[in-house]
Amino acid sequence: MSQVFHDIEKKIITSLRADLKQSPEMLQNSTGLSLDQIRRGIEWLKLKDLAIVDESSVSILSLGKNGIESLKMNLPERRLLDLLKDGPRKLSDLQKELGTIFGPAMGLCKKNNWIEITDNQISPIFVSADELPGEKTLKQIGTKQIPKSLVDENDLASLLNRPDFIIDTPKKTKEISLTDTAMKIELSNSSDAIDVEAKVPEVFVARTHPLKDTIDEIREIFVTLGFSEILGNMTQSSFWNFDALFTPQDHPARELQDTFYLDRINAKKIGTPEQIKKVSESHKKNWRYQWDINEARKMVLRTHTTCVTIKHLAENKPDEARIFSLGRVFRNEKVSYKHLVEFNQIEGVVVGKDASLKNLMGIQREFYKRIGITKIKFWPTFFPYTEPSLQTMVYNEKLGKWIELFGMGIFRPEVTKPLGITQPVLAWGGGIERIAMLKYDLDDVREFYNNNLGWLRSAKKCQ
Amino acid sequence: MPVVELSYSRLQKLIGKVSKKQISDSLPFLGLDIESEDKDLVRVEYSPNRPDYSTDFGIALGLQGLLGIKTGPIKLNVKKSNKYPISVKSTVSRIRPFVTGIIAKNGKIDDKTIKQLMTMQEDLHFGIGRKRKKSSIGIHDLDKISFPLVYTTTTRSHKFIPLNSEKELSISEILDTTDVGKDYGSLLGQSPQVPIILDAKQNTVSFPPIINASVTTVTTKTKNLFVEVTGLNKDDAEDMLSVVATVLQSAGFTLESVKITGAKNSSPKLEYRKMSVNSSLINQILGLNLTSSKIISSLKKSRLDASSKGTNIVCTIPAYRFDIFGPMDLVEEVALGYGIQNLEPTISPSQTIGQTNSISLKLKSLDQTMIGLGYLEALNSSLTSKRVLYDMTNRDSTKLLSVLDSKSREHTILRDSVLPGLLENLSRNIHESYPQKMFETGTVFATENPISEKISFSGISAHKDANFTEIKSIIQSALNIGFGIKIETKTATNSTFEEGHCASILLNNIPIGIVGKIDSKIIENYKIRVPVVGFEISLTDSILKN
Repeated sequence: MSQVFHDIEKKIITSLRADLKQSPEMLQNSTGLSLDQIRRGIEWLKLKDLAIVDESSVSILSLGKNGIESLKMNLPERRLLDLLKDGPRKLSDLQKELGTIFGPAMGLCKKNNWIEITDNQISPIFVSADELPGEKTLKQIGTKQIPKSLVDENDLASLLNRPDFIIDTPKKTKEISLTDTAMKIELSNSSDAIDVEAKVPEVFVARTHPLKDTIDEIREIFVTLGFSEILGNMTQSSFWNFDALFTPQDHPARELQDTFYLDRINAKKIGTPEQIKKVSESHKKNWRYQWDINEARKMVLRTHTTCVTIKHLAENKPDEARIFSLGRVFRNEKVSYKHLVEFNQIEGVVVGKDASLKNLMGIQREFYKRIGITKIKFWPTFFPYTEPSLQTMVYNEKLGKWIELFGMGIFRPEVTKPLGITQPVLAWGGGIERIAMLKYDLDDVREFYNNNLGWLRSAKKCQ
Repeated sequence: MPVVELSYSRLQKLIGKVSKKQISDSLPFLGLDIESEDKDLVRVEYSPNRPDYSTDFGIALGLQGLLGIKTGPIKLNVKKSNKYPISVKSTVSRIRPFVTGIIAKNGKIDDKTIKQLMTMQEDLHFGIGRKRKKSSIGIHDLDKISFPLVYTTTTRSHKFIPLNSEKELSISEILDTTDVGKDYGSLLGQSPQVPIILDAKQNTVSFPPIINASVTTVTTKTKNLFVEVTGLNKDDAEDMLSVVATVLQSAGFTLESVKITGAKNSSPKLEYRKMSVNSSLINQILGLNLTSSKIISSLKKSRLDASSKGTNIVCTIPAYRFDIFGPMDLVEEVALGYGIQNLEPTISPSQTIGQTNSISLKLKSLDQTMIGLGYLEALNSSLTSKRVLYDMTNRDSTKLLSVLDSKSREHTILRDSVLPGLLENLSRNIHESYPQKMFETGTVFATENPISEKISFSGISAHKDANFTEIKSIIQSALNIGFGIKIETKTATNSTFEEGHCASILLNNIPIGIVGKIDSKIIENYKIRVPVVGFEISLTDSILKN
């Protein structure tokens, strides 16, 4: 297939075929294109390996003060010789007429034996010549700036030593030539074609946040697995965040250094009197301490979405249900490449007679399969509110090791019974950022919340 | 979760015939996460509900069961003895009422054993001891102590040489000058009296729960140990003692009892408990169909004892397994003994129909509309700083909602507005090409009855020609196309926006948000070099209502 060339390219190629090496300025003359068009055309041709650009430094000549004067009034020696056209003249007269240039003119004419001096008389030996040395160069340069290469070197030499005649400025220039391919290439006649292979400016796509894409994907998977979404507040009473989930009030996780408590704010109503009574009884009986309602009133930023789930179950007491809750949770930790104070968590529960640990593992396996993770295993672990409890380990090919992903288990009777939930509840959950990091190949979780446009604009959509 | 360092070669000696690989493969199935490994050393994380796993002795017992080398419960052999009486004075009852203890004899204590015992002590103090508040342990060189002992109170001027010191210090000095004194002194409150254990020669043995006496320090020359546990609750103290006794016995010590009397105290029993669980519950919860004998052998691998009685399985639980509350805990023990890896995941088809929450659906539709309008989605933390939220944006901070003791200075205040975060984003991206157009929807918080959480929607546009008309067009189109909502704007003033270029957004004459050109001083604060226009709308009461 023959290549398509832009008109600019065609003109440049045609011109260079006739005149093999040209500067951009010369091309400007020979093609009638603007310098900007020439520059672009050369870039395109260079990218296609059709043009060669040699960059070199050349001398650019222009006239100095004395040079310009000589251009207007002729060279001093020419003016002296002109005055001697009609025969010998008196030295003093010539001196008067020529002024400051008299000296240099005399010196030069004497050196070349063009004149003879006797007493106070100057006589010509040689009066007229077609061109004196330097005159050709003066005319050639004129008021322009021209490359040294265009000037007769011998003629120029006569001016170079004279003060203020010639200014020599070094200048970087480009010399464009064609490659062998370009010499032979066939130029089509169509004139409206554009260069479809040329680079174009980058535009940025408006998009959802990459983390949000993962969140939406996970929400979608849960829905297709038959789960319905519930929402809840991020600020919660300690009662629902901890007490209802069988976490004793003196448990280390409830301390200020792990949990965000709201300054000076306590919940007025935390639950029904029956809920409060039964939950506190379960604590007193099993954990053996004085349960304090004021501790349960303290408002926290939820440390998991499980508080939303347990509240929903306590209010609705379903016999069968598949529900999930997804949202931000908080931990009072030092921010690092693997820790955020605020991150997203997904949490799902299955309520029902048939709920079993094997089934819970099966749902996990299906979930991971749908997000593209197939290498998984289950290990036992401990959570205060589930028994038995497991964690999923997934194999990270990049790190070459197993990493912990979701936790899961069956809600303890010590959690469900006081709240009137009679059926077994399978529960599992985990951080979404961890999954998103695997998907976007990030090793610093903070990147998700930096809103660095460079990354947001360039991160690839994950399927 | 706490971490313990183990040595494979030491474990192999403790467990019996077992390879290094068998150990490393089995550790996770005991609930121990391998954190790092280095030749002979392995560091594992254990769950705080299993303090017996704070030492290699305890882990070895668990592995013996799991690997089938030794199964069934660990029986504590405590020789009854009258040689070690401790009497308790009633004066301690209001400060730290209970004490219990045990004697451990003829053990070999090398450096590694001392290290393991110290780790166990620290972990017990932190976990079930709740930072020594509920219960705390002292381990002493028995041969430096003359029985009988008395657990009583003393004044703050009482003096003795505490552990790791060479000179005598008063209780007050210990509390004021030593690290442990400063860390735990508050547990004793303001009382002028503090608990003390004295021996027959009136020498101080221990100042619980703060520090032991120097004289009873355990070294590699120690042969015989005295362990005391004090606490607020008798059961808690004995729970802790049961862990120590079990570990010491497996470390090769022979145990003898101490005789405790006075002020509601009595000698520890360290007895088994019985608990029964129905085999159908086990099978239902695990999704298995195990025979009674398989259930029993699984429980034995978890180092419990069991027998069947009809459909019930009657379990015998050693004292140190106080993490077992009820039948579900036994179900877990069956699962562990059976082997999690032997449970085949199954999936039963869902009988329910899944549904996305309607609010999530509406927000997603809004996202799509904003993207269509050329806006990039940003996500910022809801926990942010006063600087970003109020100082930089010239907003009123009188109703700020802060959290206590945040470890991060940039995350101390719950946001009441989304827009400041977006401005902060612009200021971090001034080197990126313009136009920059971003939006975010997120929860904002306000101190009302007690806290209101609403979803707010904000967008900004920054480029050299940004103007009011542009941003009004955007919000108008977004709400119209996204939700079929027509808004109006009315002149307004707002400290974040430039006067004359700011309007409140009205829906049916009710203000739902604000739109305009960001004040040039704020733009300067953020070091942004182009004009910025933006808006913020509360979605919760207008658009997201049902």
